[in-house]
Amino acid sequence: MAENGGASQWYRLDNAGVLYSALQKETYSAIYRFSAVMDRPVDRQALQRAVDKTMPRFPTFRVRIKRGAFWYYFEPNDAPGPYVKDDISNPCQPVRFQEDNGWLVRFYSYDCRISVEVFHAVSDGGGALVLFRTLLAVYLRELGHAIPNTCGVLDVDAPPRQEELEDAYGRYAQGKGRRMKHRGKAYQNTGTPEPFYTFNVTMGFCSVLQLKQKAGEYGVSITEYLTAVLMKVILDKQHREAPRRELPVALAIPINLRAWFPSETLRNFILTARPVVDPSLGEYTFEEVLSQVHHMLRLSVDRKRMRAELTGNVRFTQNRLLQIVPIALKNPVMALGYRIAGVRPYSGTYTNPGAFAVPPEMAPHIRRMEVILGQATIPRVHCASISYGDIMEITFAGTQKETDTERDFFRFLIRDGVAVKVESNRTE
Amino acid sequence: MPYCVHCGVELDATAAFCPLCHTKVLDLSQLPDPAAAQPFPTQRGEVAPVAKQELALLITAMLACVAACCGILNLFLRPDRGWSLYVIGAAVMLWLWIVPPLLARGMHLLLRLLVDVVAVGLYIYLISVDLDGKAWFWGLAAPIILWGGAVLLLLGLVLRVYRRSVITTLTILIGSLGVFLFGVEYLIDHWLCAAWEPSWSLVVLTICVGLVIPLIIVRRIPSLREEARKRFHL
Repeated sequence: MAENGGASQWYRLDNAGVLYSALQKETYSAIYRFSAVMDRPVDRQALQRAVDKTMPRFPTFRVRIKRGAFWYYFEPNDAPGPYVKDDISNPCQPVRFQEDNGWLVRFYSYDCRISVEVFHAVSDGGGALVLFRTLLAVYLRELGHAIPNTCGVLDVDAPPRQEELEDAYGRYAQGKGRRMKHRGKAYQNTGTPEPFYTFNVTMGFCSVLQLKQKAGEYGVSITEYLTAVLMKVILDKQHREAPRRELPVALAIPINLRAWFPSETLRNFILTARPVVDPSLGEYTFEEVLSQVHHMLRLSVDRKRMRAELTGNVRFTQNRLLQIVPIALKNPVMALGYRIAGVRPYSGTYTNPGAFAVPPEMAPHIRRMEVILGQATIPRVHCASISYGDIMEITFAGTQKETDTERDFFRFLIRDGVAVKVESNRTE
Repeated sequence: MPYCVHCGVELDATAAFCPLCHTKVLDLSQLPDPAAAQPFPTQRGEVAPVAKQELALLITAMLACVAACCGILNLFLRPDRGWSLYVIGAAVMLWLWIVPPLLARGMHLLLRLLVDVVAVGLYIYLISVDLDGKAWFWGLAAPIILWGGAVLLLLGLVLRVYRRSVITTLTILIGSLGVFLFGVEYLIDHWLCAAWEPSWSLVVLTICVGLVIPLIIVRRIPSLREEARKRFHL
């Protein structure tokens, strides 16, 4: 929400932004990346022109983060850039608020791949994909193709609309608020940490049709099927390690709230669901895990409960006592709170923004889409997937040396009859 | 198209090994082409070190301010005695400990320890001058400081050279503490009564040895070591 008119127009961070900015440090990255692999090598000059034309249309991405006495806040960033850079082998590096002219959005190109990296305090995947889709459309126009402003491509010549800038959490925070209750520790699925700033990315590509058919056989959606596969391989991994007591395996699954609470915001608007399976009760077969995931995910998308949870979160940041605590004290407390409520109760994250839709005129120029989540606070993998056309891309990214989780995951798919192609930035 | 013989996944045409299980691609009829475009860039993003000058400046300003304020207060409060020199000396010592390592990135361990030990020695020396205690300084304080510096140097070198696991680090730390205190009692005895009669430091050393033995056993026996790593996520 804009707080002031004129040049000093500043924005409050939304609820999720408050958390991500407080957590940001050298060993944790709340940065995520979307990439599009085009049908031909990227024209760097055309891409830079496209970035220059697109960014003014997205004022919520053209910001720098400033540190106030009590909270961080955004203010418009009029510095030159952001510039398209050569891509690097260790993506999603943690953001430093003072560097790179304060930009919280980065653009890279490599061969046929165009990538955008976004700091999660600025926007969630849903918002970033609107920016990326529009950027790709403008880039293709720069190359001489006629791309219409349909299928979610925004008109870069039109002024930004107020609905895109809104804090949707604040808008829907009404009625009774409820903070989530304490959740126990889950299996942490950690490994041996790599040296500083090494980030291992492994991508698997499979057919959406094959996945849909396989998920259909089980009577579930693709997201539920992939979530269950991931939970099953983590359950098996824990079982192989033979601990004295097996801990529950739980995943954090972000839910895009725009589908339940109509909003056009390009800022954060997500909550997380937590499917959990407790192996201390007995060994679960894959079908049982799938059934648990299927029902838990459907139960968690209860509109009233989601509203109560987001209201509780908003009320928490509006707490008078919390507001008067200086930011220097608040950040470590929030980091500790995140460790207790956001890391300990989960074995990993899996996010699936779904199918990337583009106007039919754009479709032939894009071969596939990719998504990567930044490094977690502890050495473990995050999983993310995105589909485009018939290609489902599944990424495992993390700072640990071992490849157990991704290896078992892709082997499971192969055994289940889904063909997988794998690419990785690992060099050994 | 190469496939991994263990995982069954299709691999990129440029892949020399399977990224999931590290099995090498051994297809003599179709060797990976190193000149072909890799799926990911090979150039690593270099991370510039965080600028520490501002922090160094802030710490310098804070310590200088404390020293100046105490110096001025000394002019009015008990001006017959230079008590503020204690505070000023402590500020100088802290400055030497904190600021040079911030400014000189990658400062050599030996140099850093030398600066730290000299800073402590200088501060204690100033106190001994004020208290007219040159005898205890040269007879007791200086040897203890040097002994502490030597143990720290050894500790630093061992931890730097030796592969550091948590268990090894803990073992070396506890062992060094025992050895240091053993030396401290020797120096105290030597200065007080010119004879060495180990007593309390022997107890401390025995406790340290007692703590270290199980750690060494865990470190030496692979099955125990793995168990400890697994239990504590080391």
